[in-house]
Amino acid sequence: MTAKGSYDLLVVGAGPAGLAAAAEAAALGVSVAVVDERPAPGGQIYKQPGLRVAGHRALGADHRRGRALVQAAERSGARFLLRTACLSVRGTEAVLAPEGERARTVTAGRILLAPGAHDRPVAFPGWTLPGVLTAGGAQTLVKAHRVGLGRRVVFAGSGPLALAFPAQLRRYGVPVVAALEAGPAPGLADLARLGAAARGNGRLLLDAARYRLELARARVPFRRRRIVVRAEGRGRVEAVVHAAVDDEWRVVPGSEERIEADTLCVGYGLCPSVELSRLAGCALRYDEDLGGPVVVVDEWQRTSVPGVSAAGEATGVEGAHVAEDEGRLAALGLVEDERRAAPVRRRLERRRRFQRALRRLHRVGAGVYELATPETVVCRCEELTRAELEEAIEASADIGVVKGFTRVTMGLCQGRNCARQLAALVAARHGLALADVPAATPRAPVRPVPLGAVADETVGDPGLFVA
Amino acid sequence: MPSLRLPAERTRGPLPAETDVAVIGGGLAGTAVAYELAGEGLDVLLLERGELNREASGTNAGSFHFQIAIHQLTERDAGGSHARLAADVRLQLEAARLWETLEEELGGPLGVHRTGGLMVAETPEELRLLHEKHAIEEEAGLETHVLEGDELRRFAPYLADDLLGATYCPAEGHANPFLAAPLFALRAAERGATIRTGVAVTAVEPGFVVRTGAGDVRARRVVNAAGAWAAELAATSGIELPTRSEGLHVNVTEPRRKVLEPLVQHIGRRLTLKQTDSGTFVIGGGWPARPERSPARYSTIWESAAGNAAVAVRVMPSLAGVRLVRTWTGVLAFTPDLQPVVGEAESLPGYFTCLATTGFTLSPMIARMLAAHVARGEPLPPEYAPERKGSRWTATT
Repeated sequence: MTAKGSYDLLVVGAGPAGLAAAAEAAALGVSVAVVDERPAPGGQIYKQPGLRVAGHRALGADHRRGRALVQAAERSGARFLLRTACLSVRGTEAVLAPEGERARTVTAGRILLAPGAHDRPVAFPGWTLPGVLTAGGAQTLVKAHRVGLGRRVVFAGSGPLALAFPAQLRRYGVPVVAALEAGPAPGLADLARLGAAARGNGRLLLDAARYRLELARARVPFRRRRIVVRAEGRGRVEAVVHAAVDDEWRVVPGSEERIEADTLCVGYGLCPSVELSRLAGCALRYDEDLGGPVVVVDEWQRTSVPGVSAAGEATGVEGAHVAEDEGRLAALGLVEDERRAAPVRRRLERRRRFQRALRRLHRVGAGVYELATPETVVCRCEELTRAELEEAIEASADIGVVKGFTRVTMGLCQGRNCARQLAALVAARHGLALADVPAATPRAPVRPVPLGAVADETVGDPGLFVA
Repeated sequence: MPSLRLPAERTRGPLPAETDVAVIGGGLAGTAVAYELAGEGLDVLLLERGELNREASGTNAGSFHFQIAIHQLTERDAGGSHARLAADVRLQLEAARLWETLEEELGGPLGVHRTGGLMVAETPEELRLLHEKHAIEEEAGLETHVLEGDELRRFAPYLADDLLGATYCPAEGHANPFLAAPLFALRAAERGATIRTGVAVTAVEPGFVVRTGAGDVRARRVVNAAGAWAAELAATSGIELPTRSEGLHVNVTEPRRKVLEPLVQHIGRRLTLKQTDSGTFVIGGGWPARPERSPARYSTIWESAAGNAAVAVRVMPSLAGVRLVRTWTGVLAFTPDLQPVVGEAESLPGYFTCLATTGFTLSPMIARMLAAHVARGEPLPPEYAPERKGSRWTATT
């Protein structure tokens, strides 16, 4: 019997990893709760449409896969706590804030962090103009809210998304006029590596080919080795300027082109969401190929903190399929069921081989952090330009000091938009590798929450200071 | 505009073999002492183990507290406390006057605002205490007014309308804790002080030999300005300093239109509340943080956020709809009698200490007092002596 507000397994995040973990764990007969701030399970990738559509077939195989995952988790007996933000994790205690209610502390036998990833923020002149949005934001508007994006949409980005995303947008009737991929075309060696890793990953290769074909049919120019340099316009986007880049994604002088557009979607890959893991004190490591700072886990997805596991993109951006299986492993880890884990591990190994083969093609070049000019606002919450940040960085390589001088990373976004860009500026000025710039101290809450929901009159005053 | 920060390069580099005065600790007290001593023409070396202004000086809420706080009042049983409280108030007043001219003197913004401060009372007992402390403050020359009922509601319509009363002190206010110590450090360096960060002092041996991770330095005199770690440092020289440290929790909200001008405190519960220039509300008051090895020295406790928010919303109900954006922790040095430590160790001549419990308000003031003493022999109040006698001045409390 589980006491109210306490579970054997508390899963944070109802995306592929969280859903698979919940279903697998519930099947083991343990009490499971899944927390997600969204109104419906599925995460960003399997976000359910806001409007009921006539046939889910129209939404594609990915969507069907997502529905199956959601249904399995829902039928498993796991309890869903939706519209509920997880504000903080400490050991096996989590602070949960259901929308419109008071935040409360929940304890669990084990907490699985499966918070996913967010779009890598890239600051370039004009990135704050209305009409510029992230791939994730655009996806939400189109898929969940059925909002058309514009009349002339440019997509700029890299990685698997750079191909899939414009093609998917076309399917929803979004007029994409150009798709720009910063990375190179696959060379012979890449194709050989991909071919070798393709066994069991055929669908992923097929998907890529189909997206390419769809774009070609729709006569959407798909251009490799080009990066967005700036968005122009008065009051909103009117044009996008892009340029050729070298291997490190640094702009080749004199290669700029300008295209009229009213919307620019930016998708230079994803960054693992590690705020909660940091707060919990989990060990992290830095791997640019996996999206930057990632949570270190063992063979059962357990982190360095007892009672805390992590799965999905937080342990490395490797896509929904890998996330799902990591979720399963995390659940099976509750009983260390090696027999049932074996096929999952084999599948993961296959997928990862393929992901590794793709990486050279999708590695993020250092040039992506060098697009901001001195006047470009890098920290949107506190409206700080690159020049203002660089002035503070002169005084110290310590992010804590730079924060103190400028308030950077301390606004509403808590650094999600600026932390990486800031780290890149520190790295450049003080001659460090991006990986060696220590992150700022993590602080709760990871989402803003009304003081009225935080306030708890029953917490005893610790008493006045006595000498 | 020229930069008001010391470039990183100027805080690195080799240590001098010797110095006249070694100041240990790069917070507000240490940087202010270095600035004052350099201004007196002395050869000064400031050593900071981490970065400047990263502990209490840069993590506190930046409030100027001049009214007598409840923790001071409850010490009344100590005997002779009336005179002591009045002396405390006078020191605070001097500190207030110094802050008012500090921006001009240091030639840069410190975010100093004299907004006035309210200390509220919820219960009849608390209201009685307000009147009592008001009498002491008046006697010591600190202007405060007791506001009750409609008078308070008219004066501060944003406060809960069932509060019984409040004292208003026009001299209170705040400054920006991110700016003060770094500007002192810059000006100290311009006056010739050598500033080294990332240099941890492991021991101070008689002579003095200051042992550091980067080598030894001979110093004729030493100033311990290590704040929360002052007792630890003093112990390496065989000096018993009965101070302790506590981690405190602070909260900050999203920015809102300016509605709250004065600093708000509570006479009976842990609360400090103010709205900054940028519109955010900073809420603190001494709720505990958890001591920790990593990732931070003190980590935040959600219960502290919940309890602190409850007092804040009780006092200012409209805060209920304002979003909390982040919490953080700071560290605070406590002296057993809550009075500053400024002076020379009787048992070890040449070894000075400079620290205060409400250090942000007092540090520039006590740094100036100490520097005048070190350089020119100006007398210091014996009640601030590091090895003072007194029933409340023992390490065993």
